[in-house]
Amino acid sequence: MRYRSQSVAYWYFAVAMVLFGLQLVFGLLSAAKYLGPDPLLYILPFDVTKVIHTNLLIVWVLTGFMGATYWMVPDESRTELYSVKLAYLQLVLWTLMGVTAVVGYLFRYGTGNKLLEQPLPHKIVIVICMLLFLFNIGMTIWKSKRFTTTEGVLVLGLGLAAVLYLPALLEYENYTVAIFYRWWTIHLWVEGVWEMIQGGFLAYLLIRLSGADREVMEKWLYVIVGLVFIAGILGTAHHYYWVGVPAYWLPIGGIFSALEPVALVGMAIYAYSAMRRSGMSHPNTLALHWTLGSAVFTLFGAGLLGLAHTFPDVNKWTHGTLITAMHGHAAFYGAYAMITLAMISFAMPSMTPGRSEQGSSIGYWSFWLQLGGMFGMTLSFATAGIGQVYLERILGMGYLDAQLKIQVHFVMLVVTGSIFAIGVGLFIYDFFRYAPRFEVDDGQTAGPRPATKPVVTAAHA
Amino acid sequence: MNKRQARLFAIGSTVIATLAFLGLTIDSHRQFPKLTNAQNITPAVTHGKDVWHKYNCINCHTLFGEGAYYAPDLTKIAQHRGAEYLKAYMKDPSKFYDEQRHRRLMPKQDLTDVEIADLVSFLDWVSKVDNQGWPPRPILVTGAGVGPMGVLQAAAGSAPPPGAPPAGADKSPIALGEVVFREAMPACAACHSLLPGAQMAGPSLAGVATRAQETVGSADYTGDAKDAAAYLRESIVQPSAHMITGAMYSASGVSFMPATYGKDLTPDKIDHLVAYLMTFK
Repeated sequence: MRYRSQSVAYWYFAVAMVLFGLQLVFGLLSAAKYLGPDPLLYILPFDVTKVIHTNLLIVWVLTGFMGATYWMVPDESRTELYSVKLAYLQLVLWTLMGVTAVVGYLFRYGTGNKLLEQPLPHKIVIVICMLLFLFNIGMTIWKSKRFTTTEGVLVLGLGLAAVLYLPALLEYENYTVAIFYRWWTIHLWVEGVWEMIQGGFLAYLLIRLSGADREVMEKWLYVIVGLVFIAGILGTAHHYYWVGVPAYWLPIGGIFSALEPVALVGMAIYAYSAMRRSGMSHPNTLALHWTLGSAVFTLFGAGLLGLAHTFPDVNKWTHGTLITAMHGHAAFYGAYAMITLAMISFAMPSMTPGRSEQGSSIGYWSFWLQLGGMFGMTLSFATAGIGQVYLERILGMGYLDAQLKIQVHFVMLVVTGSIFAIGVGLFIYDFFRYAPRFEVDDGQTAGPRPATKPVVTAAHA
Repeated sequence: MNKRQARLFAIGSTVIATLAFLGLTIDSHRQFPKLTNAQNITPAVTHGKDVWHKYNCINCHTLFGEGAYYAPDLTKIAQHRGAEYLKAYMKDPSKFYDEQRHRRLMPKQDLTDVEIADLVSFLDWVSKVDNQGWPPRPILVTGAGVGPMGVLQAAAGSAPPPGAPPAGADKSPIALGEVVFREAMPACAACHSLLPGAQMAGPSLAGVATRAQETVGSADYTGDAKDAAAYLRESIVQPSAHMITGAMYSASGVSFMPATYGKDLTPDKIDHLVAYLMTFK
């Protein structure tokens, strides 16, 4: 840690870890309900566990993004954060928002709009938190007068994520129009600006972990961003299949979604070749596992499995089946969970002394158990989904009867989901195993350090 | 390519894609009213949409294929099930399906009558949105079979097909009627579809209750049955009493439909079947 204010990242990461653990509790509960009958039918029905599962995902990943940004921006701009107090205020507000939203969902207090279930007061708090966050980051960079491309891509991604949340605040009379704008938030987040955020973190990690040249890395980062948006923006069309919009969205969706993996292939090559050519210049091999893992798993989950059902002629059979759950789990985990875990693994050794720089063996167990578990879950959803499509959509068997025929895949889902949960449990244990101690590292920094010893309160607040 | 050119590429491609996307958005708005029959979005439909959201339906079901994958897709449900069926179902799903059999069951939602009626109006509006003909084949809630309508004739004396809710005194007559519709020998469902315009060996029974009503009420009607239910009962027991014209359905005044149901089905079962068919309004 080179700047004292980077320590706020620890508390963001800690909150993210707790929420991640909770997310899995509700995920496993939801998976178990596929085996049924459900003893909790009138206490905690599927719709409640599912909405909490997906919302916790969004909240913890965004918490992780914010923490990682508070870690990375001081490093890149070589300065203390503009205001540590503001960062803590934002964390408290954000956590309260997340916790009260989850408690509300237990009582069905929500908008019932998939992934945007947050009630309006919570949505407003989300916007306020985003503004506080962007203001704090913006002022930090502004005052430092040092603005790297990597952090530019990251901050622009975060800023656009906030802007794209705005359509979610509106109400639409026509259900089809509501669907149209819902995807402006959800799709353009996960297949647009969040990929910018992922790209920003990826570039940062690769520059720090390998000996790769910053100029080269940032040039290719631009290329990746360009590819993401060429395909990603018009690729929104693949969510406009069969929902009551004009038919021309079908071919547009087919063509541009087919291009979406190009950026992801680019990202994987980018990460791999950086390490091949420049070699390791940092001892943290565990963070390297997560970094390369994220690039590769994104290509698999988002790229390949997305492509598998994106053409209209395929999608008309697979639309609205467990095939979508297959793609959703692998894509979200590879792209956003893994990159956040990479940033956490990279930052932790310097905030929790006593931890080995290379990563502990628990850390490696966690990595491989999670990867294996998630791969198994993806296969479970895939096999269940293929069975469902064939029986229900092609042979015309009723939904409920087709679901009975694919029970064995749900058993597999619960087993592999449990393996994944053990991996995550180990990560969380490894995270909290060492007490944090925030000492500014005087020794090895190459760049100029802050003129004064870091101060938490004064001047900045 | 240097860094400046790479930046230009990133900005340029983003701007072009954004402009194209916004242009298509404007054009989509031009077409929304026609594609979605916006003139039919009555206050009841809007309220029904709010009911759909309020009870978090989308986190089990899908609509237009969007939602969770834990319960059946409801895009066309209003065309597969009559309004009366849906209303009775919403009162108590456990009267229609058995959790032990299908390993999952929709929890009772305690909706008011107005909420149920408006939800059904909303689902009816949804089923008529022009969504490029999806799904390509009907997505059914239950049923075990192979074939265009998902109907497999039960072999005589075999175990009940997987789709069958068990008979029981506490089940709604409508639900029991649906079982009769599938399991009577020969099965009604083998010849009659419940989808508008989908003619199989017999005419489609979509809207049959309404048509019976109209027939009974019309000036040139001379039959014995005095109301729609009696008309349907008569049609089941004596198929030739009331016939749909068409060479596929009858010849020389005798319907092709078997006239055996009167003696093969118990009076209770015929009552259930009539109750079920009366929901197709």
